[in-house]
Amino acid sequence: MSRKKDDSLYQKTFSYKFFKWMKGEKDPLVGNVEMTPKKDPKEEEEETINERLREKQMMLEKIYDVENNKLILNFRKIYKFISILFCITMFAILFLNVSYLPPVGDAGNPSDNEVPVRYIEKGIEETGAVNFVSGMILDYRAFDTFGESNVLFIATITVLILLKVDSKLKKNDPEKYEKETNDRTLEPKKDPILQFCARYLMPVIVLFGICTILNGHISPGGGFSGGAIIGAGLILYLNAFGFNDTERFFIEKTYKVVCFVALTFYCLAKSYSFFTGANHLESHIPKGIPGAILSSGLILPLDICVGLVVACTMYTFYCMFRKGDY
Amino acid sequence: MINNSVTKAAFIIILVILAILLFFCLLRAVRGPKIADRLMSVNMIGTMIIVIICILSLFLKESYLMDVALVYSMLSFLAVVLISKVYMGVYAEHKKKQEEEEKEKIVYEEEVRNGDD
Amino acid sequence: MGMIEWIRLLIGLSLLIIGVVIFASEIIGIFKMKYVLNRMHAAAMGDTLGLLSSLLGLMIISGLNFTTLKMVFVIAFMWFTSPVSSHLISRMETSTNESLSYYCEEMTLKEIEEEDVT
Repeated sequence: MSRKKDDSLYQKTFSYKFFKWMKGEKDPLVGNVEMTPKKDPKEEEEETINERLREKQMMLEKIYDVENNKLILNFRKIYKFISILFCITMFAILFLNVSYLPPVGDAGNPSDNEVPVRYIEKGIEETGAVNFVSGMILDYRAFDTFGESNVLFIATITVLILLKVDSKLKKNDPEKYEKETNDRTLEPKKDPILQFCARYLMPVIVLFGICTILNGHISPGGGFSGGAIIGAGLILYLNAFGFNDTERFFIEKTYKVVCFVALTFYCLAKSYSFFTGANHLESHIPKGIPGAILSSGLILPLDICVGLVVACTMYTFYCMFRKGDY
Repeated sequence: MINNSVTKAAFIIILVILAILLFFCLLRAVRGPKIADRLMSVNMIGTMIIVIICILSLFLKESYLMDVALVYSMLSFLAVVLISKVYMGVYAEHKKKQEEEEKEKIVYEEEVRNGDD
Repeated sequence: MGMIEWIRLLIGLSLLIIGVVIFASEIIGIFKMKYVLNRMHAAAMGDTLGLLSSLLGLMIISGLNFTTLKMVFVIAFMWFTSPVSSHLISRMETSTNESLSYYCEEMTLKEIEEEDVT
């Protein structure tokens, strides 16, 4: 069993000196080695200081005297000329490339391979969707779209980790919380004209987005574009009425629940469909009549899932970059 | 009626004229001395693009392009709202910071004067 | 094509050309005016009358179908939103310009009412 040494004994040991040197409290060379005395900076005369300052000022004036500095003027002229030349050459190259493209919709165009032929010939029969793009991304390549919506989810989580203000701060230190969240207190809020406009416009925009999502398998559109429209409507509402009004229907919990439910449903439904398809079983999901709104099997619910995820992602991005909290 | 060659030629001429006008709008956006100039020209470019999309939807006989025009009008409106509000907020913050710095400067100068006395 | 269709086409194309002329005059106004608030007056012209006349011409050419209905929606949307965006831009200009009194006269609502009475 070791015993603690006295302070006077301990101060003589090597380890004490070593740790003291490590901390930088004492330089072991000071007492032992002969050193040249340091120059005191105050010893300089005032004239030399003034001269140095004057020379520095003159140098700065010479450098920043833009109107008479020939180098800078020449550089600016050449920069302007080269930037314009660069733009014109890029324009020319792009237009030249466009002129060599084959015309749209010509029957004599070269086809890539047999995959698009298969999509066009048997797409309606196999998926039940009139919109080929929708049938492609949500039926033939559904796991690809699942990965895309997961990428959106992961991006939102990263933004939340980086930008969200600590929620414990709200209870412990309300003053600091206010300071960190209200970063745009000086911005003019509650503009009555914008509020009047948003009151009538926001429901129309959100309805249009829902219509785009629900018609994803019949007409152009679908989950991604419809979700983006709904997110834009929410952002407009937020701009007009402020955070106090939006917190009534969209908080962090809403985001968690909506995204989790949508992604889980997507995963389970598509896994079931792929499992039955791979084992040549009957999936019992009705295809319906192509062109009707309740048709084409799983495409409609999957569209709704993707739309919800995209709308939540857009709104969360805006909130996080704006305030740091919902 | 749209298959008529006269209509097609007229559409192409009008599209070319609108493209030239768009270029002038862009010029104003580049030259504009204030940020309001740039925003205003962005708004104008949005309106012209909507007209171009409408003409194209008749020219190509694709009615779904009208959906694109609706979404485009919504997005251009949203862009103007967002940028103007954010710029007002940033400007006010910058102004407040400057005023505080000036106040600190005055206080510091007074302290220096008192120290001299 | 009958006579009536030719007349319809002619009316539609002339309305389209009127719209393009309005757009062109808007561009002229943008380069001639000297201050932003004046320029905005010219720019708002295209949002309302230019869009209306050019889309009206397209409607007459296309006839009655879903495209026409969507064009009506576009006109309604733009007429609802363009005043708001103009208001926001002008508000931004007046609140951020420090030398505003050099360009225009500032008046409160009370002063305007008094001027109207006298």
